[in-house]
Amino acid sequence: MSVRSNSKRKNAVQSAILPLAFGAVLVTAWQTGLLHKLLNTDEYVLPYPTRILTIIGENSDKIMENVWASLEVALLGLVFGSILGYLIAVFAAAFTKIGSGSLTIISSFNAIPIVALAPVIINWTKDVSPEAEVRSTVAKVVIVTIVCMASMSVNAYRGLTELPAFSQDLMKTYGAGRITEFAKLRLPNSVPYIFTALRVSVPVSIISALVSEYFAEYVIGVGRQIRENILIAQYSTAWAYIIVACVIGIAMYVLLIAAEALVLKKRR
Amino acid sequence: MRLSKKALAVLITAAMITSAMTACSSSSSSADASSASSSSTAGSSTADGATADGDRIIAAAKEGKVGNWGLGNEYEIFALLTKYGQENKFISQAFDMDGFDDGSITLASAMTYNELGLVKNSYEGGYKYGDKVGIIDMNDEGVAMLEDNLFCTKEFAKKNPNTVKAFIAASMKGWKYACENPEEAAKIVYEAGSSVSSDHQAYMASEVKKLCETDTKGNKVTDYGKMDEAAMQQTLDLAKKYIKLDDSTAADKLKSLTLDDIRSTSYWEDAMKESFDKPEKTDVSIQLKWLPQAQFMGYFVANAKGYYKDVGLNVNIVSGGGDIGETTAVNNGTVDFGVTWVSNLISANAGGMDLLEIAQVYQRSGLVLVYKK
Repeated sequence: MSVRSNSKRKNAVQSAILPLAFGAVLVTAWQTGLLHKLLNTDEYVLPYPTRILTIIGENSDKIMENVWASLEVALLGLVFGSILGYLIAVFAAAFTKIGSGSLTIISSFNAIPIVALAPVIINWTKDVSPEAEVRSTVAKVVIVTIVCMASMSVNAYRGLTELPAFSQDLMKTYGAGRITEFAKLRLPNSVPYIFTALRVSVPVSIISALVSEYFAEYVIGVGRQIRENILIAQYSTAWAYIIVACVIGIAMYVLLIAAEALVLKKRR
Repeated sequence: MRLSKKALAVLITAAMITSAMTACSSSSSSADASSASSSSTAGSSTADGATADGDRIIAAAKEGKVGNWGLGNEYEIFALLTKYGQENKFISQAFDMDGFDDGSITLASAMTYNELGLVKNSYEGGYKYGDKVGIIDMNDEGVAMLEDNLFCTKEFAKKNPNTVKAFIAASMKGWKYACENPEEAAKIVYEAGSSVSSDHQAYMASEVKKLCETDTKGNKVTDYGKMDEAAMQQTLDLAKKYIKLDDSTAADKLKSLTLDDIRSTSYWEDAMKESFDKPEKTDVSIQLKWLPQAQFMGYFVANAKGYYKDVGLNVNIVSGGGDIGETTAVNNGTVDFGVTWVSNLISANAGGMDLLEIAQVYQRSGLVLVYKK
C-alpha cells in the first residue's frame, strides 16, 4: 500500500517537474533571443517576456475588465451548453429510437467552424435588446452554448446507456421504475462521462468565447483585444492578452481536474 | 447598471434557449421562435432632412448606434464624436452593410468608393437605397485623416533609393492614367483578379479618382502622390490624440513622433523629376491593404500598361484582405512596398517598426458616415 502511494507521489512529482523544466527552458530561450533565432522571427512579432509582463502589469485594470467579459461568456455558455447537452442526452436515452439519430445531428454542430456560426447567431440575436452590450453578450453566450452542448450530449448519452453488464436486469428484478432506474443507475453511471465531456468543452468554451468576440457588435474581450492589437501592429500588447488567455485556459482546466478528482474519489 | 445589464443578458439567453427547445420539441419551426423573440424595432427614425448633422451624430451616439469596423479604422470617428462632445464608442460593424440596412446601426461607416456604393446602387450586392441615404463627410467635419499611401521600410529606401524612385514614378504614372481613364482602369483591375463585380469596380474607380484629385479642403490636386504638409500634420495630430496604446513604450514613442519620422518627400520629388538611375533591386512586390479592387487601380494599371517594365522593374502585386497586416508584411521583408492608411503606419512606427511613407495617393479622407433620410 505504502509502496504504491510512494510511487504515485513520485509519478506526480515527475509529471510536474518535466513540464516546469520545459517551461523554464522555453522562457529562458525566449528571453535570451535564442527562440527568435530558432523560429527565424524578430523581437517585434515575438516580444520578450519581460516586455509582455510589463504591459500586463501596467494595464491590469483594463485587462481584468476584458478577462471578466470573456470569462463570463465562456462560463455561462459552458453551463447552459452542458445542462442543455445533458438534457438532450436524457431525452435521447429515454427514446433511443429517435434519440441516437438526433444526437448525430447535434454532434454535427461541433463541426461548424465558429467563424461561420458567429455571424449567423449575431444576426439571429439582433432584436433581443436595443443595448449592443446586452445583445452581444447573448450572441456570444449562445455560440458557446451550441459548441459546448454537442460534446456534452454525446458523452452523457454514452454514460446513460453504456451500463455495467446485468445492472439493468438487476434493477428490473428489484421492480424499479424508469425514474428509479434513472436516478440510481443511469445518472451515477454518467458522472465520469460528464467529466470526459467537460475536458473537451472547457477549453473549447474559452476558445469559442474569444473567437466570437471578433464578430460581436460590442467591442470587448480578450480575443477582440488580441485581434485589434495585431491589426494595428501592437504585438507586445497582443501578446500580453495572448498570455492572459493562456492563463485563463490553464486555470479553468486545473480547476476542472481538481473537481473531477474530488468528485470521482468520493464515488469510490 | 452594469449588473442589471448582465442579468438581462443571462435571462435573455436562458429564455432564447428555452424557446428554441420548445420550438424543437413542439415540432413548430425554429423561425417562429426567432420571430417571437423579435418584438420591437424602435420606430424612432422619423426622417426629416432638416435635422442638422450635428444633432444626428449626437442622437446616434447617445443611442449607441454609431458603427465602425474598428481594427485601426476608428480614429476619425473618435475625433468626430469628440467634436460633438460624445463618448468615444462605436458598435463593431461587419464588412457588409446589413447592420445599417436592418437599423441596428443608424450612422454607419462607409468608404465613399466601396460601402457607399453598395448602399446606394442596385447592382449585384447593392442595397438599392439610391438618394435615400445622406452622408456626413470627415473632410467637411475637419476630422479627416489621410488613408491609402505608399510605404516601405527606411532600411529598404536607404539601400535601394533608385528602386524606390522608379517604383514611385511608374506607380504615379499608373495612377494618373487610371484617374484619367477610370472605366478602362476598372476593367484592368477586374481582369487582374477582382473581388467584386465589374459594375461595382467601375463605381469604385470613379470615386477613387475623386480622392486622388481633391484635397481635404475640396481643392483640385494635380500632382498624384503628393504629400500635403497640412493634411499630413492633421493626420498625425489626430493620430496622437485618438490612437490609444496600452504598451507604455509605444505610447511614449507615439507622442514623440514627428512627420519626419514617418515620411520622406525626397523620393517622390526625384521620381516626379524622373531623376533616378538603374534600380538596385529589380524584382519587387507590393502588398495591398485589401482584396484586388479599384481602390488600388494605379498599381494594376502601371503593371498592365508596362510602366513598371519601362523603368526596369518586375512587380508582383500581392493581394491583402482578412487579417493580413500590411505593415507587418513590409516590416519583416515578405514584401518590399505596401499600401496602408497613414494612421496605421503611425501606430506601427510607435510600436517599434521603422516604416517610411514615400507617397500619398489619397489626398482626402474617403470615410463617411451614412444615414437613412
